[in-house]
Amino acid sequence: MINIRWYKVLNDLAGNKTRTLLIVLSMAVGLFAVGVILSARSILSRGLAESFAAINPSTGVVRTGETFDEQFLASVRSMHDVQAADARRNLAARIEIAPDEWKNISIFVVPDYNEIQVNKIEPDTGAWPPPEREILIERAALQVIHAQVGDTVRIKLANDTIREMKISGTAYDPAQMPAQLDGTPYGYVSTETLDWLGESFGFNELYVIASNPEDEEWSRQVVNQVKDKAERIGLTIPMTMTAEPGQLPMDDILQAILALMGILGVLSLSLSVFLVVNTVSALLAQQKRQIGVMKAIGGSSLQLLGMYLVMVMAYGAFALLLAIPLGIYGARALSQSMAYYFNFDLASMDIPMQSIVLQGIVGLALPVIASLVPFISSLRISPAEAMSLYRTGKGRFGTNPVDRMISGRNLWFARDFPVRSFLLSLRNTFRSKGRLLLTLITLTLGSATFISVFSVRSSLTSTVDEMMKWFNFDVMITFGRSYRSEELQQLARQLPGVYETDTWQQLTVRRVRPDGSEGSMIYMFAPSPDSKLISSPGLAEGRWLLPSDQNAVVVSSALFIEEPDLKLGDNIVLKLYGDEFTFKIIGVSIGTSFGTIMYANYDYVSRITDRAGESDALMVSMSTHDPESVLSASSALERLYESNGLRVNTVDTMFVERAQAEAIFDTIVSLLLVMAVLMALVGGLGLMGTMSINVLERTREIGILRAIGAPNRGVAQVFIMEGIAIGLMSWLFGALLAVPMSGALNLAVGTSMMGTPLTYSYSVSGMLIWLVAVFFLSTLASYIPARNASRLTVREVLGYE
Amino acid sequence: MMAAKTAKKRSPLKSRADHSPNGRLVDLHAVKKIYRSSAGTFTALEGIDLQIASGEFVSIIGKSGSGKSTLINLISGIDQPTSGEIFVNNVPVHSLKEEQIAVWRGRSIGVIFQFFQLLPTLTAVENILLAMDYGNRYPVSERAEKAIHLLELVGMADWAHSLPGTLSGGQAQRVAIARSLANDPLLLAADEPTGNLDTKSADTVLELFDSLTREGKTILMVTHDMELARRAARTIRLSDGRILDQKVND
Ligand SMILES: Nc1ncnc2c1ncn2[C@@H]1O[C@H](COP(=O)(O)OP(=O)(O)O)[C@@H](O)[C@H]1O
Ligand SMILES: [Mg+2]
Repeated sequence: MINIRWYKVLNDLAGNKTRTLLIVLSMAVGLFAVGVILSARSILSRGLAESFAAINPSTGVVRTGETFDEQFLASVRSMHDVQAADARRNLAARIEIAPDEWKNISIFVVPDYNEIQVNKIEPDTGAWPPPEREILIERAALQVIHAQVGDTVRIKLANDTIREMKISGTAYDPAQMPAQLDGTPYGYVSTETLDWLGESFGFNELYVIASNPEDEEWSRQVVNQVKDKAERIGLTIPMTMTAEPGQLPMDDILQAILALMGILGVLSLSLSVFLVVNTVSALLAQQKRQIGVMKAIGGSSLQLLGMYLVMVMAYGAFALLLAIPLGIYGARALSQSMAYYFNFDLASMDIPMQSIVLQGIVGLALPVIASLVPFISSLRISPAEAMSLYRTGKGRFGTNPVDRMISGRNLWFARDFPVRSFLLSLRNTFRSKGRLLLTLITLTLGSATFISVFSVRSSLTSTVDEMMKWFNFDVMITFGRSYRSEELQQLARQLPGVYETDTWQQLTVRRVRPDGSEGSMIYMFAPSPDSKLISSPGLAEGRWLLPSDQNAVVVSSALFIEEPDLKLGDNIVLKLYGDEFTFKIIGVSIGTSFGTIMYANYDYVSRITDRAGESDALMVSMSTHDPESVLSASSALERLYESNGLRVNTVDTMFVERAQAEAIFDTIVSLLLVMAVLMALVGGLGLMGTMSINVLERTREIGILRAIGAPNRGVAQVFIMEGIAIGLMSWLFGALLAVPMSGALNLAVGTSMMGTPLTYSYSVSGMLIWLVAVFFLSTLASYIPARNASRLTVREVLGYE
Repeated sequence: MMAAKTAKKRSPLKSRADHSPNGRLVDLHAVKKIYRSSAGTFTALEGIDLQIASGEFVSIIGKSGSGKSTLINLISGIDQPTSGEIFVNNVPVHSLKEEQIAVWRGRSIGVIFQFFQLLPTLTAVENILLAMDYGNRYPVSERAEKAIHLLELVGMADWAHSLPGTLSGGQAQRVAIARSLANDPLLLAADEPTGNLDTKSADTVLELFDSLTREGKTILMVTHDMELARRAARTIRLSDGRILDQKVND
């Protein structure tokens, strides 16, 4: 025979289905969020690293000025400290993405695509390996060149040959930065095609894996060995690169995202904790009287405790039953879409045990702990007291200043208005302080997270604004070599619509570290500080260049991620055209590591590089700035310079650049939107659950209201207003809490991506959206149960007992 | 069938001035109440016929479980009969919908409970004002004055701004009586109003009822205390869901 006590537990669960459903849902939604965020975070961080490792990533790259052959590659492979090596030809070309609109493209030539040992390229769709006279495009790059498989595109080579080539498929090349993030598309052709393009075969890029790939310092030394070896056979080495071990090409963004997810994971965990605690204590509050009755008939505290713990754990178990599978599903969907943005296939989508264990703890152990506190306090009250609670109790209302403020004589002025039901709502809100506090904390956390997520998003936009603030021009043209500044400007001014022009020096430099090793490539812009077309970019610290500055540089904040020993005021040794110069860092601008930038004075840089009066970049500002006319002007300029025999390297329009910078943030922004929706869900359902449980607790009062003649509408009104009052309070507190919370998120995202916090911008629109949502949700949350409750007949709640 | 016809003839929510021509405020015909539960059916009231005249003070007495609460709940529209007809001031209460009943009850019946049932977060006077808001019988500007007046009537004016939690049982019940008078109802229905009070407080409540009857109020009171029941003009004795006898007290 089943023990009657357990029968009661079962009855409570099954008997009050609405309540069981509400409790289970509120608990489940929080647990679901924890599962999604923490599992997705771990799938991403582990899965991306694993699938990256699967391509045998190089630890170092050596680029040569002249081409080399198989024989030299074989000799590198035989080096003692080289574990593996591979070589490719990297052909700089341009691709026509719209009539007369050309974009840079890197075309790789690999002799045998199926035998790649380092930085493996995988087949994706269409032909494999690249057929003769046809080209494969990296799968993430198709969108950048606005083309599809099967299209024919025009490719222009450095030797000015233009060829039409069919895109016969896509390839998957995880070693490259995804094209939408750095704007450079990649293509793949065979050695035969290279012949047809008018180039003779030879390699110009070496990928090596050092014998101890985990050791970054060692990898650097091995790259230097390879470089020396290449120099000994007469090759010039314009560039070497060392990768941080196991680090993906877009590691900075990934780190920013992981940091963001970490924080949001912790937030949703605490949100979930509060949801559970809140729900459980609401449940026990409802059961207080029954506890009293059972004590009165001789139930021992231990028996009662056992009973309620089982009940609470049953709710937790139901919630987990929902939250775990849905969480797994959500985490996989989220990490898959993130991986897609990063152009990565996830090697594994295994759900980490820890996040399930964590869900289990929050779902099962926490309710037990949460119920112990109110339970023990309810055990302490005598049966008589507990049962007397039934008489709508003394409550605890009226015992503190807040209560007094909103009660009695203080609001007596309102006697001439029928506002009683509002007063009733307002005071009911404050009736059970502990519960209100719990509810408020829960909802405030949800509100704050939602608004913060929006604020990070608007901070990202502000950051792009700051980054882009320094140029006041529409088109920038860089040239294959330096030309006289006068000549460059004169030509540009011939074009109608050109409003103003200026020139600068633009060069790629590298830091030479104290130990002699070289950092990665940095773009140095050397404009005249008094140019009208350039103003100070957003500065994180220090100051902008003055005309009197000599060897001063303003560096982008992202430089400090790679060169952490540097700071404002330090000297930095830079290699310009092969010679080393010492500069002093006088300012730090806000910038990502995607093309790290530094700024120096034109006069100084052109003097030390022996290029006084010469420039290799031209800025043009147009009299009209719409994309249409800027684009047509940029192609007209390109034609103009080429017909005058000048070699144009790149033509960039600033609105495209801006879109580019924004694209880098896009992944994070879309992740943030997913998070915002998730938080709205958690906050909204939490709000609904809490409200609904509150209403269930008040059935007795509903009976009184009806007994004294309240119509259905009147009853529902009282509870809806109470719901809205709680919702609005949580919104207000959440909006305030969002200020420091979004600051912390900005710090986490900014430092991992740019070495400096994002430019702070509080999202007023996020705040307002949430206000509307809260209003809507709390109305809905209290309307449904209030309507149900108002259907109860008076007898059901008051009559018989 | 019958009920529907009646409802068609006159609007269920009639004005108070329209008293029954025969002077019967409450009129019950063959009222039966059967409770159905998982344990089976239970007949709580069996063919009750009862009339209460306007201005009468009637008490209902009987053992626990005899159906007293059931009867008074049916009259105040808190519960619905299984069969039979209940007219209060010619309004067919048995055929009204729950929502209509709530509005009707608010304006026509003053309900008084054993456990007072004041809203704990509203002060004494606000409890009355809330009932006035729902009843909507008086202009908004007059309500506060009337509410205070009702509290004076029950001797609770000094506690107008106190919360129910701070009142004693007797005080709370007096406030509840004041609230039941908020919309000047036709009938006061009190189910064991003294059941939770000490003798002295119970006496105060009964004195209040006496003076209300003198002013022409109709009162129906359930009690199981013979002593108190005798203070009404008429006592109805219930036993096992039937009227055992009726007695006019002197
Ligand atoms: N909702 C109900 N369901 C089943 N039985 C009920 C219900 N309400 C009352 N009863 C039964 O009807 C009988 C009369 O109840 P009630 O009118 O409350 O009696 P009294 O008020 O005289 O003590 C009792 O035996 C009680 O058990
Ligand atoms: Mg009774």
